[in-house]
Amino acid sequence: MARPTSFGRDTGLQLRMAFTLFLLGLVYVVLIVALLAAGTSGGLVALIAGGLAIFQLFGSDKLALRAMGAREVTPAEAPELHAMIDRLCVQADLPKPKVAVADTRMPNAFALGRSPKNATVCATTGIMELLSPAELEGVMAHELTHVANRDVLVMTLAAFFATIAAYIVQFGFLFGGGMSDDDDNPSAMVLFLVSIAVYVVSFFLMQALSRYREFAADRGAALITGRPSALASALTRISSGMDRIPQKDLRAQQELAAFYIFPPGAGKAIGSLFSTHPPMEKRIAALERLERQLQGVAA
Amino acid sequence: MGLFDILTGKRKVKQPAESRLFAMSTAAVSLEMTLELKSSGKAAIVFQPLATADFSSIVADMEEVLRGTGEDTGTGVDRTDDDFGYRWMVLSDEEFEDLVVGINVVSQALQDGGYGERILCAVFAFRDAHDNPVYWIYNYKRGSYYPFVPAGGDQRRDSERELRLKAQIGHELPIEPELERWFPLWGIPI
Repeated sequence: MARPTSFGRDTGLQLRMAFTLFLLGLVYVVLIVALLAAGTSGGLVALIAGGLAIFQLFGSDKLALRAMGAREVTPAEAPELHAMIDRLCVQADLPKPKVAVADTRMPNAFALGRSPKNATVCATTGIMELLSPAELEGVMAHELTHVANRDVLVMTLAAFFATIAAYIVQFGFLFGGGMSDDDDNPSAMVLFLVSIAVYVVSFFLMQALSRYREFAADRGAALITGRPSALASALTRISSGMDRIPQKDLRAQQELAAFYIFPPGAGKAIGSLFSTHPPMEKRIAALERLERQLQGVAA
Repeated sequence: MGLFDILTGKRKVKQPAESRLFAMSTAAVSLEMTLELKSSGKAAIVFQPLATADFSSIVADMEEVLRGTGEDTGTGVDRTDDDFGYRWMVLSDEEFEDLVVGINVVSQALQDGGYGERILCAVFAFRDAHDNPVYWIYNYKRGSYYPFVPAGGDQRRDSERELRLKAQIGHELPIEPELERWFPLWGIPI
């Protein structure tokens, strides 16, 4: 009567994620071809963007933590949080990440770092006050799943070519415009147009990818804690708490937003295509499905 | 974790590694003879109790089996839930071998029921010559042991002693090689 796992498979999510990655790859191949056709100026832009991406991967952790006003805490300073993460790490078979706390009323949590060995998970004082231990455990398990899935690395790499395209669009007038005065350079013009298209298409694809990875992280959290409903309850509580708090200064932190448990400034006016996180109702519905599978009720 | 898992998101919680739990049975003899570490007569297994009927019945059956065999071997069974929502099945027996067997009964029952990934760890409690606690924690997912020595005071551990223990007994016990996975467990009730 041995059952293989407590939860069913998530083939649909896997397929959507694979399809999104495939489309992203396709779009980027187009850009690479255009870059090669454009010759040296294209190569230069690629080099600069590559450098920036590497800097982002290796150096942005500390900057991001400082931008959030977060500080690494020792086990003596935050014993409960550390003990909770210790246990989750045993369950998830992860090395212990650095643990940071941001002193802000806004209830949120996020994960940083390119690999599990260089990861930092951060919770705000607001979320620790707002949530019950079981709910907070679900949220931290969600962040640890981001770490285990290497979401920072995946999203930075996925954004790499989109960044190149963005640079070409921004500086295209300088490069292409300057040159086309002397000799009409058709390849620069083509590159410029291709870059605009790549930028727009990859933007939507990346937002979709980010949403799928949120679903994956929710699922991972449920697998680690065995309590999907605790995370669902945490999500409702955070979202109702978020609305009351002004979010103006956080809108500037676009890059961080992808790794929040709940995105700051998640207004209803923003179309779902543009958002890095899936709508709350869908996330809760997905968690509810997991709870049903766990309880052995037909999914 | 493979590339495919990274690209599509990890999909499973790791199942227990091949069990090396019983390595403790023989190591305990050396611990007592050479290091003056005596079993406190207690051991515990820690797991996440799922709030499902299936899981509850497996745990209830397992407890019944334990109590049944306990009458023959003299093993006491106790259970507590800690602040983090984990359940501790505490076994007490003067015979160390029976403790290891009892722990194995619990973990085997959970694994057979398909809930192996819910087990956090097993803890064997020892006391040194000065009656201070020394714990050996068995990580099921890694299939390895590590020492945990609380050093009195608030959330402090005696890392020096732990490393020394690793050097002293490392040839007899499978010790967790990565030090950053020597996770502490504060407030162990045994």
